[in-house]
Amino acid sequence: MTPDTTDSGAALSVPAAEQAPGAAPAGPAAAARPGAGAVVLRLFQKYSLVVLLGLSVAIYGIFGKNPAIFLGAADIRNILSSQAVLVVLTLGLIIPMTSGSLDLSIGNIAGLCSVATAAFYAHAHVPLLVGVVLGILVGAVFGLVNGLLVVLLRVDSFIITLGTASAIFGLVIWYTGGQSIVLGIPQALLTFGGGNFLGVPDSVYVVAGFALLAWYLLEQTPYGRSLHAVGSSKAAARLVGIRVERSVFVAFVLSGASAGLAGVLLLASSGAGNPQIGQSFTLTAVAAAFLGAASFKVGQLNVLGSIVAILFLSVNITGLTFLGVQDWINQLFTGAALVVAIAFSTALHRERKHRARPAPQEPASRP
Amino acid sequence: MTAVTEGDRSPALRVRSLTKAYSGVLALDGLDLDVRAGEVHALLGGNGSGKSTAIKILAGVVTAEPGGVIEAGGQQARSDQWSPSAAHAAGLRFVHQQPAVFPALTIAENLALGAGFPTGPGGRIRWSVLHKRTAELLAEYHIPASPRTPLGALRAVDRSRVAIIRALQDRDEAGHGVLVLDEPTAALPGPEVEQLLDALRAYAAAGQTIMYVSHRLDEALSVADRVTVLRDGRKVATVSTAGLTESALIELIVGRPIDRLFPEVSQDAHDEGALSLRGVHGGPLHGVDLSVRKGEVLGIAGLLGSGRSELLRMIFGAYPMLAGSLAIDGQAYRPTSPSAAMDLGIAYVPEDRQADALFHAASVRHNLSAGQDGRYFRHLLFRHGAERRDSARSISEFLIRAQSDRQPVQTLSGGNQQKVVLARWLRQRPRLLLLDEPTQGVDVAARSEIYQLVRRATAAGSSVLLVASEMEELAHVCDRVAVLKGGRIAAVVEQPLDAHQLTDLVNTSEAAA
Repeated sequence: MTPDTTDSGAALSVPAAEQAPGAAPAGPAAAARPGAGAVVLRLFQKYSLVVLLGLSVAIYGIFGKNPAIFLGAADIRNILSSQAVLVVLTLGLIIPMTSGSLDLSIGNIAGLCSVATAAFYAHAHVPLLVGVVLGILVGAVFGLVNGLLVVLLRVDSFIITLGTASAIFGLVIWYTGGQSIVLGIPQALLTFGGGNFLGVPDSVYVVAGFALLAWYLLEQTPYGRSLHAVGSSKAAARLVGIRVERSVFVAFVLSGASAGLAGVLLLASSGAGNPQIGQSFTLTAVAAAFLGAASFKVGQLNVLGSIVAILFLSVNITGLTFLGVQDWINQLFTGAALVVAIAFSTALHRERKHRARPAPQEPASRP
Repeated sequence: MTAVTEGDRSPALRVRSLTKAYSGVLALDGLDLDVRAGEVHALLGGNGSGKSTAIKILAGVVTAEPGGVIEAGGQQARSDQWSPSAAHAAGLRFVHQQPAVFPALTIAENLALGAGFPTGPGGRIRWSVLHKRTAELLAEYHIPASPRTPLGALRAVDRSRVAIIRALQDRDEAGHGVLVLDEPTAALPGPEVEQLLDALRAYAAAGQTIMYVSHRLDEALSVADRVTVLRDGRKVATVSTAGLTESALIELIVGRPIDRLFPEVSQDAHDEGALSLRGVHGGPLHGVDLSVRKGEVLGIAGLLGSGRSELLRMIFGAYPMLAGSLAIDGQAYRPTSPSAAMDLGIAYVPEDRQADALFHAASVRHNLSAGQDGRYFRHLLFRHGAERRDSARSISEFLIRAQSDRQPVQTLSGGNQQKVVLARWLRQRPRLLLLDEPTQGVDVAARSEIYQLVRRATAAGSSVLLVASEMEELAHVCDRVAVLKGGRIAAVVEQPLDAHQLTDLVNTSEAAA
C-alpha cells in the first residue's frame, strides 16, 4: 500500500496562483487556505484512527489480566489472519459504496459460498482449486443478480440488497436444512488457515494481495475513477460520458465475487460450510468501511483506512473480551463504532461544505 | 425619484465599519452603508466581493467582527451582537436567491408558514380565517390567484412575489423597515424578470424601502435609485443611478475599464455545415431544422420551456430523439449516448453546473479529466504525472484561478468553477461545443473571459451552439441567432444582431405559439 499521491494534503502550502487585478474572487478561494491550526487538525483527522489503534493496543497490553497473551493475540499478523474474511468482505463492499450504492448482501453471499464450496467438495469431489474458483464464481453470480436488479429496477440498492440478503439466507437454509457441511473438505484447504510462510500466516498473503488489488482498482484505474465520479454525482458522471449503469453493475459483480472469496476463506478457517454465520459479517463490514473513511483520505472510502478500521474494531473487541466482558460486546462495540463513524463523517462533510462556501450557491436554474 | 437632499430622509438602514474575516481573510472590510427610507438601493459587486457576506450579516445568519454598528428601525446594535431576531425586530425582511417556498402547499399555507397559522380551540387551524387573510393579501399585491392554489401551479415570477409577500406580511405598517432581495431575478425566465421589476417599482412607489442585490447591471440601473458597489470586500462607491451608464458601472465593479465585455464577432465563419438538423422531434421539439456553420457561434433564443435545453441534450445523446436526422460534417449521426457523442467530438456544458457538471469534493484536476481519464492509463499504470502536467496547462490556458489543481472544485468561485467545466471540454478541441447558459451566476469579469475562451475555440475551428436567456448576451456574442418557438425554429437572425429585436421576436413568438 503506498500512500496516495493525488489527494493527500490537498490544500497544504501550495503558493496561491497569481491573481489578475480586479477580477480575483478574494473571498472563497482565499478562505480555503489553511492556517497552522487547520493543518494540525487535518493531520489529526487523517491519523486519528491509527492513534486510537495504538492507544487501544497499549491500554489492553498494560491493563489486561494477562498482557502477554493479549499482546500475542493483538499481533497484527494474527489479527489480519483471523480477520481475513472480514477484510476481503469490507474491501469488496467499498467498491459499490464508492459509486454510491450499498451492498447489504455480502455477508449472506459469503455464507452461501462457503456452503456451496463445501458442497462442491463433499458431493462433486472437485479438486481444491476448482472448488475455490467455483466458490468465487457463485459469489459473482449473486453479485450479478444484485447488480441487474439495482440497475434495471432503478431502486435504492439499500432496499434491493436487504431483500436479496434475506432471500439468499433462505436459499442456504433450504439447501442445507440448517446443517453444516463438515465432511469431504480437502485437508489442504483446512490446513491453509493454520499454515504460514516465513513466519507470516498464509491467509495474510491472500489478504495483502487482495488489498493491493482493491487499491489498484479503486485508485489507479479509469474504472475506479469512474466509480468515484458516479458516487459524487450520477448526473454529472453521465454527462461526461461515463456509463453509469454499467459501472454500478460491475461494482456489484465485483463485490459479489469478493464475498465469494471471503466465503472460501471462511470455509478454510472454520472447517465447515456453516449456513448460520455469514450474515453476521455484513454490519461489521459496513462499520469498518465507514470508520475507514474517517482516516487517511478523510471523507472518502479507502482501502488502507478500512484495514486499520478492522484492526481497530478487532483489537478492541478482543481486548474487552480479555478483560472479561461477555460476547455481547462484539455487537455493541461494532454498532456504536458505526454510529460514531457516520456521525463524524457527516459532521466533517458539513463543516467542509460550510468552509468551502462563505458565499452562497449560485442559483440553480431549474424552476 | 425626486431630488431630495440627504438630510430630508432619515436612513432606514445605517451600517458602519462592518467587517468579517473567514480564516483570517477579510471577506468584508469596514463597510459603511446608508439606505435611505423609501429608496431602492442596489448592492452590486462581482463574485467574492462581499455582498453576500454583507446580506448574511444583516440577516444575523453570520456574525460580524466587533467594532461596527448596525442601525435600523430605531434599533442600534454592535455588529457582533446582531442576530436574526434583532434583524426581524428592526424591520429587515429577506427574500433569498431561492426563496424557501413549498410548491406542493397552497399559497395560504405558504404564507402561514411565515406568520403562523391562525388557530382556534384545541390548536385547530382556522382555515376560513387563513384563507380570508390570504385573499386580502393577494388582492393587495395584485396576484390573480386563489389562496387554495398550490404554489407550484404559479409562474416563477408569482412564486417570487408570494415569497416577497410572506416576508412583508407581518410588518405593522408600510414604509418602515427594509425589504432585502438577494438576486431575486436570477431564477426567473427572461420575460418574467420585467414583471418582477415592475412589482418592485410598485412597492417602492408605495413607500417601501428596498435593498436589491444582483449580478444583472441593467436591472439594477433600471430599478434602483442608488447603487453601492463592492469590490474585494470594500465599498468602492455609492452613486445615484441618474446618468449612470452600464459601462461606468462595470468599471466600478471590475476596477478597470473593460473595453470589450464581449469579444469581437468573427467575420470569417466558413460556410460549411458543421452540424445540421432536419425535422428533429422529441419532447417539446416538433420538427427543428437548423444548420450550424463551421467556426461560428450560433445562438438559440427561446423562452424557458421552449425546448432550447432539450435541443442541446438531444444532440449530446442525453435526451431521447423521436424522429429526425442529424449530420456532423456531412455524415449522418444518430445520438444514442453522451459517450457516443463525445467520440464524434461533441462537447456539452449543461445549464445547471452544480447538479450536472461538477464533482464537488473532487479536486480541480480530477474534475478536468473526468470521463477522459482513460487516456492516462497505459500498460496497466495510471500516468499521474501526465495528468498533473495537463491540468497545470489547462489552469493557465483557461484562466482558472485556483491555488492548486488539488484544491476541491467546490472551493472555487462560480466563475472559476464554470471555467473548469469549460476547460474539461475545450482541452479536447471539440468539433461542436454545446453551451447552455454558460455565464449564469458568473460575475462580469469572468463572463467576459468565458466568451474569450469560446471565441478562441471557434478560431481554432470549433462550432458553438449557445443557449442564453439574456438577449443582450446573444446579440453580442453570436454570429447568428436562431429563434426557437413552438418546438420549431421560427427565424434565424443574421448580423447585425440587436437585443431588442431578439426580445421582440422571442416574445411575439410566445403569442404566436
